[in-house]
Amino acid sequence: MSQYGIAVAHVGSGPFGRGREFGLLLVVAGTLTLGSASLGMTQEVRANPHPATPLSLADPVGLAVFLAALFVAHGALVLSRRRTDQILLPTVGLLGGISLLLMERLPQGLAGGLGLGRTQLVWLVLAIAVLAGVAALVRSDAWLRLYKYSWAAFGVGLLLVTFLFGHDVGGQRLTLSIGPLSGQPSELIKILLVIFLAGYLSENRPILIEESTRIGPLRLPPLPYLAPMVAMWALAFAIVLVLRDLGAAFLFFTVFLLLLYVATARASFVILGLLIFVAGGAILYQVVPHVRVRVDLWLDPFATASGSGYQVVQALHAFARGGLLGTGFGAGLPLIGGALPIPALHTDFPLAALGEEIGLIGVLGVLGLYLVIIERGLRIAASAADDFRALLAAGLSLIIGAQAFIIAAGNLKLIPLTGITLPFISYGGSSLITSGLVIGLLIALSDRGAELQSADAGRRGARRAVAVDIAA
Amino acid sequence: MDGTVIAIWLLRLLFLVGIYAFLWTVVRVLLRDLRAAARQPGTELGRLLVLASPVGEPAVGANFSLDAVTTLGRDVNATIVLEDEFVSGMHAALTYRGRIWYIEDLGSTNGSYVNGSPVDGIAPLVFGDELQFGNIQLRLERSRQ
Repeated sequence: MSQYGIAVAHVGSGPFGRGREFGLLLVVAGTLTLGSASLGMTQEVRANPHPATPLSLADPVGLAVFLAALFVAHGALVLSRRRTDQILLPTVGLLGGISLLLMERLPQGLAGGLGLGRTQLVWLVLAIAVLAGVAALVRSDAWLRLYKYSWAAFGVGLLLVTFLFGHDVGGQRLTLSIGPLSGQPSELIKILLVIFLAGYLSENRPILIEESTRIGPLRLPPLPYLAPMVAMWALAFAIVLVLRDLGAAFLFFTVFLLLLYVATARASFVILGLLIFVAGGAILYQVVPHVRVRVDLWLDPFATASGSGYQVVQALHAFARGGLLGTGFGAGLPLIGGALPIPALHTDFPLAALGEEIGLIGVLGVLGLYLVIIERGLRIAASAADDFRALLAAGLSLIIGAQAFIIAAGNLKLIPLTGITLPFISYGGSSLITSGLVIGLLIALSDRGAELQSADAGRRGARRAVAVDIAA
Repeated sequence: MDGTVIAIWLLRLLFLVGIYAFLWTVVRVLLRDLRAAARQPGTELGRLLVLASPVGEPAVGANFSLDAVTTLGRDVNATIVLEDEFVSGMHAALTYRGRIWYIEDLGSTNGSYVNGSPVDGIAPLVFGDELQFGNIQLRLERSRQ
């Protein structure tokens, strides 16, 4: 079996060693220590122009805890003895570490209790634990594959519950509280959406590819199979109307179109999808004031630069101040009248903060890390043994990628700003935990040995074999 | 310029260098993977993995690379020979057209089954489908890239 030969050659030490992952984690640890030293010294000089100690780290305990969590996760993956992807964990580690430095640098009062940096640290460690747990323990995808309609129903249920019992934060009804816990269900719903779409599209792929209804020059999918497309569109529409969550709606529809294209390789579907998206957007612009505000802010934030356009304008200024190399960690963002220039900096505008402090070069590096995640996901999809695994892997990585690029483009005023999070960098527990879950699933799906066991798919067939024996 | 300022400036640059060192290492790994994938011969349309085979011919775990037209049966002229008393001479054919695999039962005595349902004429397949001919079970898989 030649493919195993290649896999073994990559690992370095032994068939189950993860030498490459370890090496990359060392690079991550070194980089983050440098960043922390740069932040620490800048803060030191700010407090006292002639510091006593020449070198100091910002919050060495927090950094040590985070790096320890990464290496423990690495150890767990080594112990799980699976031949899985070795690049995703260090990539997530670097993104998370940059987030930690950013949150330590911002005013700690933005989050109650432990303070911003420490709260983010707790969520990051939990996200890495989820990632490692899923990557080490999930060995079969049957529980996702077989119950796709149940998962979809669960997602729609979550949406309804959010609508009925959620409370409004900043004009959007996103947050759901159960006792002391509160979270944003749309984060979980996006994973459920990918699972459902992977199941649905892998089952109906032949029909979607081979049959078509011709209307004029367009080759449309057979009409009954247009139904899910329309349903998806209606769902996105409903999210905007009811939850006023532009970001989630945009993300869901983008991922739907991307997966549809991955499954069928037919551009006509994507063109059709974009057309109904534009039509829907035009209607929403007329009907929903919330949407109109967002689009007007995007077209000309300077018209209301001290009112509703304030955040967007300040973000653009932050990017401009950063220039090529940035001002350095801790040196940007002067407080204006004791408050941050961008109120939602830690959740909606982390890229603007990074743009100011690590500059264009740093931001391009961060976007490069998201590209690495997408590349790994598509690679895992390309080498998956069946359509469901392939579509699931592609969908999971594309949802992280699409989310990162939608919010990054929003920060840069390329598209209207939507309040979604930058995966692994924005402050917030729901986003970090679900992103950890996504990457954990991706690593589990990359297992090259899993398809040989065939435990779950084989069982169905085995029962049939007995039946055929009796019939024969 | 005092020493601390220069030190901070160096640290800032080194942090950026660190991010790109990471990306550089990863890109090198990715390129090596891509080259390894490119060296693999030809474009494979799909594979058949043997899941169950009581006689042991073909052996369980064996992998067959598929041609655009692949016939299966007990006959020695079949592309893939299945040794089982419930399999007909020319049992079934797998054909690849327009990015889809199809299965056709060639009038076998005991029929062909996809995921447990009998094949009637020609039926489209998706990767991951399990095929059964007599006591032999196979799974259609995507080729590795």
